[in-house]
Amino acid sequence: MSKKVGIVGAGVTPFKGTWREKTYYELAQMATREAVKDAQIEIRDVDAAFYGIYNDIFERTAIPEHAIHGLLGMQNRFGIRITTGGATGAYTMSAAHAYLAAGRFKTALVLGVEKATDCFDFSSMSATPEVIKSIGWSGDSFFEQPIGWSASDSYAEVVLGYMDEYPGDLKPEITAQISAQLSQQVRGNTYAQRQFDQVTPEEVMNSRLVVYPFKELEICVYTEGAAALILAEEETAQAISRNNGTPVVWITGVGEANEHSFAGKNQKNMSRIMSDYYASHRAYEMAGIKDPTDSVDIVELHDAFVHQLEMSMAEFGLVPLGKADSLIEDGLMAPGGKYLVNPCGGLIYCGHAVGASNIMSAWSARNELIKRDLKTALVHGTGSTIAQYTACMIFEHE
Amino acid sequence: MEKQKVIDEKYIPDVGSQVETIDGNDCLITNDAMYTFYRRTKGEFSAFFLGLRDEKRLLGCRCTRCGIVRVPPFLTHCPDCNFVPTEPIEVEQVGIMNTTPPITYFATSLFQHMAPYGRGRVIFNGADTAMSVNLYTTTGILVPGIIKKGTQVKLVFRDKRIGEMTDVFCVPSAELTREQIKKKGLQESEIDWEAPKEPSLPVASEEDMARYRRAMDEMRGLIEDMNRNESARKAIAGWKRDILVKTRGGQCAILIDDGDINVEERELSSPDFIMVCDDITTLLDGLAYRGAITDSVINKKIWISKNMEFNTIFKLDRMARFLVRSRKTKDPSSESS
Repeated sequence: MSKKVGIVGAGVTPFKGTWREKTYYELAQMATREAVKDAQIEIRDVDAAFYGIYNDIFERTAIPEHAIHGLLGMQNRFGIRITTGGATGAYTMSAAHAYLAAGRFKTALVLGVEKATDCFDFSSMSATPEVIKSIGWSGDSFFEQPIGWSASDSYAEVVLGYMDEYPGDLKPEITAQISAQLSQQVRGNTYAQRQFDQVTPEEVMNSRLVVYPFKELEICVYTEGAAALILAEEETAQAISRNNGTPVVWITGVGEANEHSFAGKNQKNMSRIMSDYYASHRAYEMAGIKDPTDSVDIVELHDAFVHQLEMSMAEFGLVPLGKADSLIEDGLMAPGGKYLVNPCGGLIYCGHAVGASNIMSAWSARNELIKRDLKTALVHGTGSTIAQYTACMIFEHE
Repeated sequence: MEKQKVIDEKYIPDVGSQVETIDGNDCLITNDAMYTFYRRTKGEFSAFFLGLRDEKRLLGCRCTRCGIVRVPPFLTHCPDCNFVPTEPIEVEQVGIMNTTPPITYFATSLFQHMAPYGRGRVIFNGADTAMSVNLYTTTGILVPGIIKKGTQVKLVFRDKRIGEMTDVFCVPSAELTREQIKKKGLQESEIDWEAPKEPSLPVASEEDMARYRRAMDEMRGLIEDMNRNESARKAIAGWKRDILVKTRGGQCAILIDDGDINVEERELSSPDFIMVCDDITTLLDGLAYRGAITDSVINKKIWISKNMEFNTIFKLDRMARFLVRSRKTKDPSSESS
């Protein structure tokens, strides 16, 4: 019988376009200090560390977690790094959950951290082309990297595949409205990279095409920062909660799936994100959720692109496939609507510090569940080429 | 073959460092690189790549049990049939698009020379799986709508081939002759590529010239604001371009020089590139963030003489965005770089 696992502490650093004044060592410790303080425990009380760091190239070192293990006070204890592309943070939480549920440890630190904009392209004298080049090393190296694979064009392939099937969905005016709404929601997030970058749907429509069909204001921004959680098994979690007076948010469902990374017969169906479908429905099953439209109050999803946010909501079963625009047209994610989607502003406005992003989403979901006294949240991470990887979690606040 | 370095010189910075002061604290920033060189085998894919390079053949593999044909030949044993062996098979060089392909306008530093480019998945006749290829049109810049799901495309071989996926690309069959479509091993030099041709502008009327004057007044104001805006200046730090802008009502020069931008009404004898737009308002709207200049190039409202200069166009769009954003941003640290 596996043990119940809950979140008893959480903390994030400010998410910024660049942190000239900090390295990832210090960012990692900043978030850890906040999480430990939030839980009102000491780092010596933590049994194991799970590190979510996506890209060795961003950190400019292989096995980047080795240097921070001791700096976080975790020496001589268990430490493991998870790296699964954009889904790194979500998979890191999933791994920590599994170890705690299995009874291996009573408490765990889940830490996501990422630098990005130390990368710099000296030919265009700007950071962005080098940052996306560094991500570009993640594509298939024999057949796709050499012809210009990028994270954006691979997600665009899936979005266009969906639009081929459902040509009336993901309308430009709807994606623009979603982006504008997220930009309003971020205003309350004091840690966000774009807290004060409120945009109108018209501005979104007027922003430049980066990769067809994505416009600049429909894409997540690259970010530097860190996020940390303290997880604990049931008895320990309840003891910590009694001590700090903060309710435990329980992780009642976990699900993951990785699709094929190439397309065609018996391989990836390019009009779907089946990884999102399988991962979310496995998480629902574990949490005992029969109808997610009845149960899910908050969704903190990995919005790498607005179009993909809409597709993911459909794959989660929260809106019908082909009618994802109902999120806006039927007011489902409008303020006061059925679902509270990315109250933190999501990765588009809070920022995408890759290994830390989904952990930041978990931090937000946990805060919102407690603050708004809601019951159930779905937390999601997507990553790798053509939205291949997904990990999902159900959080419940009793 | 001409000698070429694995890494182009332009990407390699000089040894050096700089100090940036953040909240009164000096941060030392050092030019650096993380590099590894390879003599990397193509292993089991060697026959496929040699087929492209030396024989202009497209090879796949066929499962000896279920018969599925995978192109490229990803594997030697079929995972769907508990790893029974596959056998090599050659497929046709015409296929259809599996889905509508994306088009990259803003590329990574490795592929800026190639942008804009399409990359999509083609199921070649005789295959069951899709192969990633670059996609081009013979008619100029690739724009949405030319290649869609189901569009028939033809595999074309580069004249110089090195045994990489860059040895081939696809163009729509509709842009080729019947003989070209039929031909196995069609090469790029056998295709009639439409050369970029500077559009001619009609003679200006009084009204055109008046519109040009009004637009220039607004443009000067915008450009002054950009020069005063730290973020906008950062977008063109280290960048130098002299752009000759030709419009129906008149022509001007936009001069970018390491953080400074200026507009002057004068001729340029050797501009870095030429921008032609019938109505100067199109460019003005871009600089005022009333519509992206990038999109105007894509939609053929603005013509540029070098595709590589999409890079400069992005920087101009970026400056427009930074200017608009700074008028409402209360926290300057929330900027991305």
